[in-house]
Amino acid sequence: MNQSHDPNDDELRDRLLEQALREVLHKETPPDLSGRILSVLDHDQVVLSGTDQHVAKPKTRRFRLSLTEFAVASVIVGLLFALLLPALHAPRKAALRMQAQQRIRQRGMADHQRLPSPYYLHDDVGYLPEGALPFAENVLPDRTRPGQNGDRYERSLDSPFCFVRESPLSTFSIDVDTASYANVRRFLVQDGQLPPAEAVRIEELINYFDYHYEVPGDEVPFAAQLEVAECPWYSRHQLVRIGLQGRTINPQKSPPCNLVFLLDVSGSMDSPDKLPLLKRGMKLLVQQLRDEDRVAIVVYASSEGLALRSTPGTERSAILAALENLQAGGSTAGGAGIELAYRIAQENFVPHGVNRVLLCTDGDFNVGVTDTTALEQLVAQRAKAGVFLSVLGFGRGNLNDAMMEEISNKGNGNYFYIDGITEAHKVLVQQVHGTLVTIAKDVKIQVEFNPATVSAYRLIGYENRVLAAEDFNDDKKDAGEIGAGHSVTALYEIIPVMTDHEMPVVDPLKYQPDRLTAESDLSRQELLTLKIRYKEPEADESKRLVFPLSDSGTSFEQASTDFQFAAAVASFGMLLRHSSYKGNATYESTLEMAAAAKGPDEQGYRAELLDLIRRAQLLTQDPSSAQ
Amino acid sequence: MKTATADWRSEMADLVRAHQAGIWRYLRFLGCTSAEAEDLAQETFLTAWRDGFEVRSSEATAAYLRAVARNRLLMLRRKEQSAPIWVDLDVAESVWAEVAAEDGLDDYLAALRACLKRLSERVRRAVEMQYRDEASRDEIAAALALTAAGVKTMLRRARTILRDCVMRRLEQ
Repeated sequence: MNQSHDPNDDELRDRLLEQALREVLHKETPPDLSGRILSVLDHDQVVLSGTDQHVAKPKTRRFRLSLTEFAVASVIVGLLFALLLPALHAPRKAALRMQAQQRIRQRGMADHQRLPSPYYLHDDVGYLPEGALPFAENVLPDRTRPGQNGDRYERSLDSPFCFVRESPLSTFSIDVDTASYANVRRFLVQDGQLPPAEAVRIEELINYFDYHYEVPGDEVPFAAQLEVAECPWYSRHQLVRIGLQGRTINPQKSPPCNLVFLLDVSGSMDSPDKLPLLKRGMKLLVQQLRDEDRVAIVVYASSEGLALRSTPGTERSAILAALENLQAGGSTAGGAGIELAYRIAQENFVPHGVNRVLLCTDGDFNVGVTDTTALEQLVAQRAKAGVFLSVLGFGRGNLNDAMMEEISNKGNGNYFYIDGITEAHKVLVQQVHGTLVTIAKDVKIQVEFNPATVSAYRLIGYENRVLAAEDFNDDKKDAGEIGAGHSVTALYEIIPVMTDHEMPVVDPLKYQPDRLTAESDLSRQELLTLKIRYKEPEADESKRLVFPLSDSGTSFEQASTDFQFAAAVASFGMLLRHSSYKGNATYESTLEMAAAAKGPDEQGYRAELLDLIRRAQLLTQDPSSAQ
Repeated sequence: MKTATADWRSEMADLVRAHQAGIWRYLRFLGCTSAEAEDLAQETFLTAWRDGFEVRSSEATAAYLRAVARNRLLMLRRKEQSAPIWVDLDVAESVWAEVAAEDGLDDYLAALRACLKRLSERVRRAVEMQYRDEASRDEIAAALALTAAGVKTMLRRARTILRDCVMRRLEQ
């Protein structure tokens, strides 16, 4: 390297290194300013209608106070710009915008939904799709920080309303993860604070609950149930619920399991809510093992090691003893932990059985593969070879939420967050078959809206699962998995055609073929058609199911209690995310809605939600606790 | 009106997202406190936008924003009349442009992260204590059973190793 001998230069290079070290060691991180900047510009109303020229309007008062001189200068520059250059400037701007719009249309809504906060920009994870375009409404609060303690979340923006005439297809991958709910619960109950908006994934909140959907027959892996009623937070809109229910399996007949636990036993796991909780959870699981099941344990810390060779269910005491011996210690330097885990899974591979690595950790995946992309590739490649990966997250302080979700997706698995023994029981006992036995993979949903009845729609949640329309029929495109007995619920808020006048005005499209008017009455009644693609767990080719839905004009009160409850959960999620689409939803109205729809609630999960809403309500009222 | 708004918003959000971390880091590098860097970075984007800034290549955009940021800093210091800028701005700009022309230091940080892993456990501990935990030299000395002077030497050598390692990686 060619270092200069200028003392200044040398000192500055040292300074740069020290600054970089502080950032790499998480002592400081760049803030996210996009919300603040956009909201200042909103107040400024920098945009003139029509031609979209930028003109420097007088600044907000706050800004002017600190920058008087520059305000004058930039007003002059801006005016000169506006006066002298519009002829040159406007066409170029217009061209840039058209390109951007073009990109949005071409890609459907696939990429530009993600607006990660810059805390991740320094990360080597590819959070930022190339040329990504964020959508209009930045709904997150101005200053969201990563947890003060280093937990990492990914920001995603709420999906906006889409015009049916412009993009009649909405496509997304299913997601049965529930980690976000457990995480939110932990924030509200154990930490006594509101969760950061980006930790709230509405679809995971909704999917935490059981909605008693009808169980499908034998010929298909799942059944779909559609329902539509008035939207509780905006009565002129309607809410469409899509419910998928996975086939349940007889525990006796479930395929044999070959499980390899990959456990993080680094020093940071030495806390009651981490390794000890993990051990208790695993003991619950071990108690249900059958003779034909096998379990192995690989640990990683300073070095990786095999804590338990692959052991059949007949030797339960050996498994329990190995669990007992696990201790946390050492730094997470990692060896070839994940490769060892996959090798053991491969060596004990059960054809037509459940072959799965379960990664249990409180944070970083320093598990032997050097960079994240390589790790994702490894996971995706092994999933193709039949060994799936699930992730169980523990504790707080170092939680890499975004990464855990990402990697479990790549591994055809799910991501759970275990915040206590009850959740461990839910994931590892009650729903163990759903956790372990995949009944369909790469499940994609595509909804075609009828422009004759629906003018616009908005998918609630699933922001980071949105696919481009053409991905639906592309079998190479990875999507979500559904486990035995799992159900998936998705909600759309739709604007029926009659309230068209409230939408922003767009010129009528000239080249849209108006086939529908010519067609039958059927097209006047149907709201949408739901199409589902899925693959059998070991298949490479997808199958397709189709369900239409008509509007029955149901009021919210007439809707099923499950529908009402799901709507309450969605509205709770929107409140926690400070969503600009929350309409007139408040914690009070949400509480009322959820209470009315609680139903029998044998396991008490729904009652727990009521408690969480109350807590969030109190925390919101008390300004000292709001972050 | 609303749809037009969406357009410039997404352009602006693009710009901010791509460059905010880099500008903030640059301002820190020029000696701003974290809070100052935050305010000045915000002003930088607002100024650039209000001046009818056009997105060019990523490198040109980054350089333009750095120039605006530098001017904002100079104006702030002039107004304060108290805190001089001790950094030689020209040298600072050339150092920065060499290692982080357009990526806002991302590559440098990635390289540093990799290089840190290659330090021996003991040296890394010292580096972490110094830069993450802000431990005093005596505390580090106590933890590693060294003299304070030994810690100083160790850290100086660590910095040299890291700088060389990072530059080597960046050149590759």
